[in-house]
Amino acid sequence: MNRPQEPTRPSGWNIGANPIFRRYCRSRLRPQGLGVALLISVLIAGFLFFMSRATGRYQADLSMADAERAAVIPLLVFQALILFIFGTAQVAGGMTAESDEGVIDYQRLIPMNPLAKVFGYLFGLPVREYAMVFATLPFTAWALWQGEVAANVWIPLYTVFFSSALTYHLAGLVAGTVVKNRRWAFLVSIGLVFCLYTVIPQMARFGLVFFKYLTITPVFEECLPGILPKTAGSIVATGQRLVPLVKFFNLDFSETVFTLFSQGGLILTFIVMLCRRWRRAESLLLGKLWAAGLFIWVQILLLGNALPLIDPGNIFPSRELTRRFRLTQGWQPEGWEAVAMSGIYGLATLLLLFTLTKIITPSSDIQIRGWRRARKQGDTSLPFLSDAATAFGIVLVMALAGAGGWFVFTRAVVESRWFPGQEVPLGVLGFFTVVMLTGGLGFHALLEARGGRVVGLAVIFVGIVPLMIGAILSVSSNRLHPAASWVFGISPASAPVYASGTLLALSELPASVARAVPRAFYFWQAVSVLVTIWLIGRLHSTRKVIAKSAISARPTETTETNITENAS
Amino acid sequence: MQPTPAIDIRYLRVDYGNFVAVDDLTLTVPPGEVFGLVGPNGAGKTSTFRVLTTLMEPTYGEVILSGVDVLEDIETARRIIGYMPDLAPVPSDLRVWEFLEFHAAAYHLGSRSQRRERVAECLEEVALTDQRNSWCKELSRGQTQRVVLAKTLLHRPSVLILDEPASGLDPLARRDLRQALRKLAATGATVFVSSHILSELAEMCSSLCVMNRGKLLASGTAEEVRKQLGSNERTITVSLLDRHQDAAVWLKSQNAVHDLRTTGQQVLFGFTGSDDEQADLMEGLIRLGARMRAFEEKRSTFEDILVEVAETNRKS
Repeated sequence: MNRPQEPTRPSGWNIGANPIFRRYCRSRLRPQGLGVALLISVLIAGFLFFMSRATGRYQADLSMADAERAAVIPLLVFQALILFIFGTAQVAGGMTAESDEGVIDYQRLIPMNPLAKVFGYLFGLPVREYAMVFATLPFTAWALWQGEVAANVWIPLYTVFFSSALTYHLAGLVAGTVVKNRRWAFLVSIGLVFCLYTVIPQMARFGLVFFKYLTITPVFEECLPGILPKTAGSIVATGQRLVPLVKFFNLDFSETVFTLFSQGGLILTFIVMLCRRWRRAESLLLGKLWAAGLFIWVQILLLGNALPLIDPGNIFPSRELTRRFRLTQGWQPEGWEAVAMSGIYGLATLLLLFTLTKIITPSSDIQIRGWRRARKQGDTSLPFLSDAATAFGIVLVMALAGAGGWFVFTRAVVESRWFPGQEVPLGVLGFFTVVMLTGGLGFHALLEARGGRVVGLAVIFVGIVPLMIGAILSVSSNRLHPAASWVFGISPASAPVYASGTLLALSELPASVARAVPRAFYFWQAVSVLVTIWLIGRLHSTRKVIAKSAISARPTETTETNITENAS
Repeated sequence: MQPTPAIDIRYLRVDYGNFVAVDDLTLTVPPGEVFGLVGPNGAGKTSTFRVLTTLMEPTYGEVILSGVDVLEDIETARRIIGYMPDLAPVPSDLRVWEFLEFHAAAYHLGSRSQRRERVAECLEEVALTDQRNSWCKELSRGQTQRVVLAKTLLHRPSVLILDEPASGLDPLARRDLRQALRKLAATGATVFVSSHILSELAEMCSSLCVMNRGKLLASGTAEEVRKQLGSNERTITVSLLDRHQDAAVWLKSQNAVHDLRTTGQQVLFGFTGSDDEQADLMEGLIRLGARMRAFEEKRSTFEDILVEVAETNRKS
């Protein structure tokens, strides 16, 4: 009889020997395609290098060293374009192409450990983009050397450049694994990178500072004085003295260390997601414990970054504006800023809660399989942390943690030295908890009991449509503002903002909605509580039915066949 | 002592939401068989294969390959399995030898020279040595099937699972495939092969089973399957020179005769009796005094049987 050969597993870390990496080196580094890509890269990099150098030398009368420095930033932007945009798109699209062509099943079956498979794709799919970036590096190296840029400037910059690329490529890999359509995977991954550099910085202005450390921007800004021509660099350096190092609670970190720390957590989470999917295609993207840990970790990062910025006032959006126009003397944050920041913090927390709940909630198929397996092993219940087990307990923990984080943030902002005499009573924590629990548990119960399609419809008709109708009403006539407030209030997304607007004494709602918003908030929260309790009841009975059918069902109408017997 | 079955499926069930793709399938295949699984599209063949190859978790049931539980010990099971999926996809950006070399490296089949040797062996086995440097995307359908078969053979799996391997092959390539599968079975490997064409499998398999709408309908040798499916059905045409009406009346009274009709000198009817009963029928007609010019029987082909089974199931 044929004996299967005993394969030795290729190590995940030995990337040079990784068959998937080598396969992509073969297909993506063929002389013809690579030659054209390298030629274009070198041409553009050369143009940027000589153009910046010549402009600096002959138009701006810079010294030789300063003129060389002028090329560093354009080259960095070009390299970022190649690796962040093209590389990420290639990873997401390439992964989806594997599914499209059907060859992904072969890769599932090969005896490599999941981590080795992830690394093979992570470095293999964008290997041409890496080659293109490496082709531009001699220009950068020359500019750094001749421009006398210190090693403690360019090493952190390029370290974070490559760690950011890894983060985005992993995000692309997750998108390519989850999204079935190649075009959608491409758009999702590009959209993600685009959002990181456009939308996320806006969130940072409202207290959600942590998210900006998922980009290269903070380290780039920190390194800016060292890579700009010396005269311009010294001006930037003076400005930067006003901005301290990254504060994390009472600790000080350099921008580089904190960025690597933040990105590291996300990289690890993406790798866990991908490994789970490579181990079993039907697995949930994250385990329950990991999801809860991630949620709490993000809360800690958000608070750790935001709280130290409250006393100096740097967390308030108007501070940035006044600094830009040099109007810092006599500056005082407005009450609405604190209310808006609290509302946005609550909204971001609720959205994160929804996302993680979606990831860890088992479908009915997964539940049935889990019960069958439990029955096979003689168990009468599902292991608490298994994919098939209900996510109810974990969502409850995350909702409570979210409410706690939101309350801590709100209290720190409102009770800061900027708003003397203001207090956030403990009762507010109760309302924040109700908002998180009704949102989180309601979403979870609906998803687990009725499935993704019903949730999709609920998101559209309860989450989005009321916001659209409310927006139309609010711009139609001032008299319709109260009605618009009631309509807005239907959407769970408005609950955190309404909670902050209603419960904080600092809130100065416009007269037209001063009565409608609090009333709408209390009314819709009462409705949400009732609906959530009803949904939890439904979930309980649905799970009971599934468990009962899975445990009691015995195979019926079995056609048993034994070929040996038949043959004899 | 009975040898450990190569494939042991017990109460396998696969649900997609409310749709039951495989319904309590129980099946045992001893080692060294070329075993066929036949059924129309949607019979549950591919779902069964995906569970067998660890690519899908069943709703319930057990699958044991050469003593390895594929649901509990995925990694070991994957080393035993060689899988060729339906439509045999190949990557469009690789040459034939690169595709095979990649898999040889992934299965860690020794040094580079050993791998190359094994790739060459497999290409020779599927008669594709001359296409070694061709692009996978430029191969014909039949050649693509053979490249994927070569990939499947690379790590010398003890259980080969081939989903519709003969689809798209010309008669010559089909004959080569048949020979290759028999050769593999002779070395002790078990081949589990599917098709929606029963005659195709009847030619290449030592035993087979028929599935429809997730259920196993029959299994055994080709003849046994024919019997189990109640396909003793044949159409008989009797050409008579006289006494047509008397013959028709007498035939109608016989048990195994149905759907009788007369056209000119001919009497046509369906017959489900045994061979002995058929002989009695001829004798009876002669005793009746009818002058019989011809007595022809036409048996259902495997395809007719399958169509009939599928139709019956659809109606039910």
